[in-house]
Amino acid sequence: MSQASTPAQRGRWDRLPAWLRPRERELPGSGRTRLIETTLLVLAGLILAVATVNDLARAVGVNQRLIADERTWRGYTAHDYHNLSIDQELLGAGTQHEVVCGNTRPAPPKDTTQLCLLIWGPVHNGRRTVHGGWYLPAKVEDVRADRYGCFGAGAQGICPP
Amino acid sequence: MSVAAQSERGPVRSRSESWRPALATLFGLLLIAATAEIVLDGALGHSALIPKSPNIAGWMAGIGERLGYGVFLIALLVMTGAYAGLLAVTRGRPGEAISNRWLLILIGALQLIVFAGPILLSTDVFSYIAYARMGVEHGLNPYLHGPVAIEHDPVYVYVGHDWRHVATAYGPLYTLLSYPLAPLGVVGALWGMKIEALLASAGTLALTWRCARARDLDPAWAILAVGANPLYVIYGLGGAHNDLIMMLLMMSAVSLTLVGHPSSRREAAAGATIVAGALVKATVAVLLPFMILSRRTLAPILGALAALVLGGLVGYAAFGVHGIDVVAALNRDAAFVSSDSFATEIAHLLGKPGVFPIDHDLLKAALVLIGLHLLWRTWRGYDWVAASGWALLAISVTSTWLLAWYILWPLPLAVVTRDRRLLGATLGVQALFIIHQLAPLIAPVQ
Repeated sequence: MSQASTPAQRGRWDRLPAWLRPRERELPGSGRTRLIETTLLVLAGLILAVATVNDLARAVGVNQRLIADERTWRGYTAHDYHNLSIDQELLGAGTQHEVVCGNTRPAPPKDTTQLCLLIWGPVHNGRRTVHGGWYLPAKVEDVRADRYGCFGAGAQGICPP
Repeated sequence: MSVAAQSERGPVRSRSESWRPALATLFGLLLIAATAEIVLDGALGHSALIPKSPNIAGWMAGIGERLGYGVFLIALLVMTGAYAGLLAVTRGRPGEAISNRWLLILIGALQLIVFAGPILLSTDVFSYIAYARMGVEHGLNPYLHGPVAIEHDPVYVYVGHDWRHVATAYGPLYTLLSYPLAPLGVVGALWGMKIEALLASAGTLALTWRCARARDLDPAWAILAVGANPLYVIYGLGGAHNDLIMMLLMMSAVSLTLVGHPSSRREAAAGATIVAGALVKATVAVLLPFMILSRRTLAPILGALAALVLGGLVGYAAFGVHGIDVVAALNRDAAFVSSDSFATEIAHLLGKPGVFPIDHDLLKAALVLIGLHLLWRTWRGYDWVAASGWALLAISVTSTWLLAWYILWPLPLAVVTRDRRLLGATLGVQALFIIHQLAPLIAPVQ
């Protein structure tokens, strides 16, 4: 920032009041504008930092829940498979109710019959509770018409009649 | 202070100074090692971080493991720490802690390592190629159709799912620049895009050097702050983003006003160059009002108008009215929401599930207020380059669609201004972006 006060192009802007005239360089002044700007910047930075850390904690919480869901699926099926798909939307976004699907025998993802489990509730010993589920034929997406062998109270209304 | 105290402080200080070259070397090597780790692991092919791509870096694939979040985030953190350390030990000491030649070699090595490797972290480059092939190989207007219109073209499988139905939002100059690459096939076009990104990056750094020197700032430190920046290297250059071409034109305009004797011709050329940049990616147009207010002459306005008319005519001739309807593309993109945007983070902080339409309006209002304040400050003598940098930073922070390469926009401007708050704020926002990525490192989901 400059030290000199240089009204720009004297003449053309003379009709304007002094506080409105353009300047080639900033006045040294008392630094009040800069102080206000810096204060606002620091406040904005603090808000962004708090929001970022809060969102990181939220994402970590979601990941920990998903880890518990995967562990629950593996424990329930006794298959140590790692290619599982988790649907967080089907039972309502933000409800923390998830649908976890995986193969019933070793194969590339969705290449064999899949077992989907409805999982929700608090995490106990790294797992959550299975409330029901269904099977899906190979090579299909999880749509209502393809679900069969539904079980558990949680699956009511989700499977075809 | 006594003479004795002064004489004691002398040797202590020189001993601590002697550590600077060693620390700088260590930080430089860490930067190269972490970059190489990402590239070598990425060369193994498709993963959560490496988009599906033709195998252009297969010759590197024998060393690493497939790139996962853990290795990537650790490497990114190492890069960030080394970058911060390097900036700290070299600041204010041009040529002492680290020679300019060593610095250029370091920056060149980082750029070349990423250039030789696979496409990192984004499918955007395949959208660029798809739009070019739509126009050249299939006779389709990329401003009217999404890549789904060429679903049998070999590039289609590489285009991101979210973008397959989306027509191009880039300016007609960029689309025309990409057309000569279309007949080269997907691999040829991909290398063409990578070369364009590398040259744009080299040009941006060269112009940053010139601008910093013109303002009596340390040019070596300035290009270190840009060229070794982890987001610039890994996300910007690694993804071969056209933001680098936009930044090249942005720095060309700044250079025209800062370097050499001021003249109407240079100011007109600067105005025209900003418009050219906006015809690549519209965001850079934000510099124009600040430049015009600062110069207070007709030259940049006339230059900008001439370029706008010429670019408009060429765009219209090539793509019809949709090719020059920048406002429609901006409005469409402004409605997008990404999980990395600060708007989404603040919505979560306030207990909301995400960003609502009213939030878009509030953010736009905040952006207008910031813009008006910056325009007023520029009118009253504040550096127009710094004001432009603040405006670009404000756009990225208030955008509901934030991607890593958006927070690169203000960086070259920040290193050629004397208001160091801008550089601090830009790097601070980048640091928050990186922190926000860390969830898979803390709680890894398979």
